[in-house]
Amino acid sequence: MAKDLKVQDSQNNKKPAHPYPGKFIVVEGTDGVGRSTQAELLKNWLAIEGYGVVVTEWKSSELISTVIDKAKSKNALNTITFSLLYATDLADRLNSLILPALKAGLIVIADRYFYTALARDVVRGADPSWVRKLYGFAVDPDLIFYLKMPLEPLLRRIITTRGGLDFYESGRDIGMSTDLYQSFKLYQSQILFEYEHMMDEYNFKVVSADDPIDVVQKMLRGSVRQLLAEEAAVQKTI
Amino acid sequence: MRLFQKHDFPGRLFVVEGVDGSGKSTQLDLLRNWLESKGKSVVFTEWNSSKLISKTIKQAKRSNTLIPVTFSILHATDFADRLENIIIPALKAGLIVLADRYCFTAFARDFARGVDKEWLRNLYGFAIRPDGTFYFQVPVEVSLERINNSRMPGFYEAGMDIGLSKDPRESFQMFQSVIINEYDKMVTEFEFHTMPATRPIHEQQMIFREKVGKLLGM
Repeated sequence: MAKDLKVQDSQNNKKPAHPYPGKFIVVEGTDGVGRSTQAELLKNWLAIEGYGVVVTEWKSSELISTVIDKAKSKNALNTITFSLLYATDLADRLNSLILPALKAGLIVIADRYFYTALARDVVRGADPSWVRKLYGFAVDPDLIFYLKMPLEPLLRRIITTRGGLDFYESGRDIGMSTDLYQSFKLYQSQILFEYEHMMDEYNFKVVSADDPIDVVQKMLRGSVRQLLAEEAAVQKTI
Repeated sequence: MRLFQKHDFPGRLFVVEGVDGSGKSTQLDLLRNWLESKGKSVVFTEWNSSKLISKTIKQAKRSNTLIPVTFSILHATDFADRLENIIIPALKAGLIVLADRYCFTAFARDFARGVDKEWLRNLYGFAIRPDGTFYFQVPVEVSLERINNSRMPGFYEAGMDIGLSKDPRESFQMFQSVIINEYDKMVTEFEFHTMPATRPIHEQQMIFREKVGKLLGM
């Protein structure tokens, strides 16, 4: 059984799965699809089920997140610097949080992972192969949920829940349009396009984020339960 | 990738490389005075000096908690910021840019820390290829001798983060040898001009001026 799983892994993924006893789950999707809510619900459920869980958010390292915030508030970043700052943030979190947790056998839930950077950086004009190689240091997740939502409902949701549009979320830094709404729409549609590209490349589990919160959560739990059951089966045969 | 092709900006980019204590900064400073005395407009930039991130790097170094990859991307970020804000605008404006250390420093040092060579070349693939890279070559033995006579090296400077040796001096020696080896390998890869860093300052400067003068058609 263990052997079979390994073969499957190498067929599905380019790199071998990580060698750690923990499980690594990623929740991906563009702004406003409900990622953080779902990650939080998943975490609570897993804790109740008796698993040790940590959640790590995008751009939250002690080392660099304030530098990013400062630079963004000045709108002073070019594409490559933008890209490298986020890569630094992830490298630091991998080293100080994600890997230690996985080694200790915990379940790590990442609210966004480097796929976010791939989408954003490529839309900002970075060379797709350059960014992919840049993130070569990142460990592969066991499960990647992609919360997918069509553009129109997504736009309505962001505008109503955020109380306005954000400069970078609207791609204003790359000067798509001086009309903020147009710019936002263009930018988000390109981001969605990049995510679509990655679905097969990285074996995303696509979840319709247009459904009610509890329906989406049920889907996520189903897949996580399956992952943990597979792991338990492997443990038994050892 | 830009690093592997000639740039077509009107300006010119000259870079000095070499280990600490090789005299490259002194030489670059003298070159700068000379160029300015000849009426050239010169812009100077040095490693780890961006407004955006250099302070963060220095703080992180003090806490000794960084792994090589993080360290590596941090320096690349500093470099990217200076490239976009200082180097490229100056080259577009037709100026002469002098850089004290360039991505080759990272290629040598980060590799010595165990970071993958190909990954590093991709990481800095956005860099502009210099019009002249001057490598101030110091033989390993001379460098080590200088190290023995100098102050106690810092934690990262000595490569203590990768655990070569518990003794800072010994660690520094081992680390430095790998770095010099890497520089030597890059001489052909990146067409370095090798400078005799053990010769008198004046003699080196004359060679430096002659080479740069030729490249500038002076």
